[in-house]
Amino acid sequence: MSELKDAARIDLPATLWQEILGHCRRKLAGDFLPGETPIRRAYGILAGTLADNTMEVRLVLPVKKNARSVEPFRTYMDTVMAEHAVESTTPMEQRGWITDPEELMACFRRCDDEGLVIFGSYHMHIVAWDGDPTRDTPTRLDTVLARGSNLVSFIISMVDERHPSMRAFFEGRPDREIPINITG
Amino acid sequence: MARIIIPFPFRKHTENRREVDIEGASLSQVIEGLVHRYPGLKTINDQPALLSVFINGRQVQGKTGEWDSVPLRSDDEVSLIIPIAGG
Repeated sequence: MSELKDAARIDLPATLWQEILGHCRRKLAGDFLPGETPIRRAYGILAGTLADNTMEVRLVLPVKKNARSVEPFRTYMDTVMAEHAVESTTPMEQRGWITDPEELMACFRRCDDEGLVIFGSYHMHIVAWDGDPTRDTPTRLDTVLARGSNLVSFIISMVDERHPSMRAFFEGRPDREIPINITG
Repeated sequence: MARIIIPFPFRKHTENRREVDIEGASLSQVIEGLVHRYPGLKTINDQPALLSVFINGRQVQGKTGEWDSVPLRSDDEVSLIIPIAGG
């Protein structure tokens, strides 16, 4: 059986790529759904099938809630961010996201029910940094938070909304990129 | 014997098993038994504050140190979740 750590390529159907982008654009526009944490961040779960070291994305599950301000996650995130986050104009308490356990459990259960492998999570970067105009790679914080997760971090660059892009990194490690092939 | 649902990211430690049955009268005994059988899962104890547990779909409140007092029946289903986070 193939394992995510050995994956050499990711096939992403164009329709699902548009679904991900639709989620990002909706959040950027401040168009929030009922029950959704009203923040201009988009993140979610990608799942699919894994065979012959190829991941094929079959399901996009946008995550609605952010447990960042809920204990014990607030203390955990504050601690990790104080140590690893780079300086930014965004206040620290507004940075970072963490899934609500109940919502995540429902995502995992659905994937199990549909026989899909959970590939990992996606989230977007929207602000260019000095020396990093596209922000399509994991930050040091992304890498720390994904360490040992056995999941792939999908980073979406929405710095230029007209030219979005997405890259994938096993456990958020910049040296473990998995190429994405948009299909269909 | 409670049934533990192993989330996908942890299955590399459980020979890809989705479900594992573990003896134990309390939640802490079952978690201990799980880690004993699959030592790779000790990572779930590395950040106990992040570990969320659901019994029959209902989230267990309280800290891990209080799980001795959470009884389990033989037909209970226990789900483990460690949240996913990003910057």
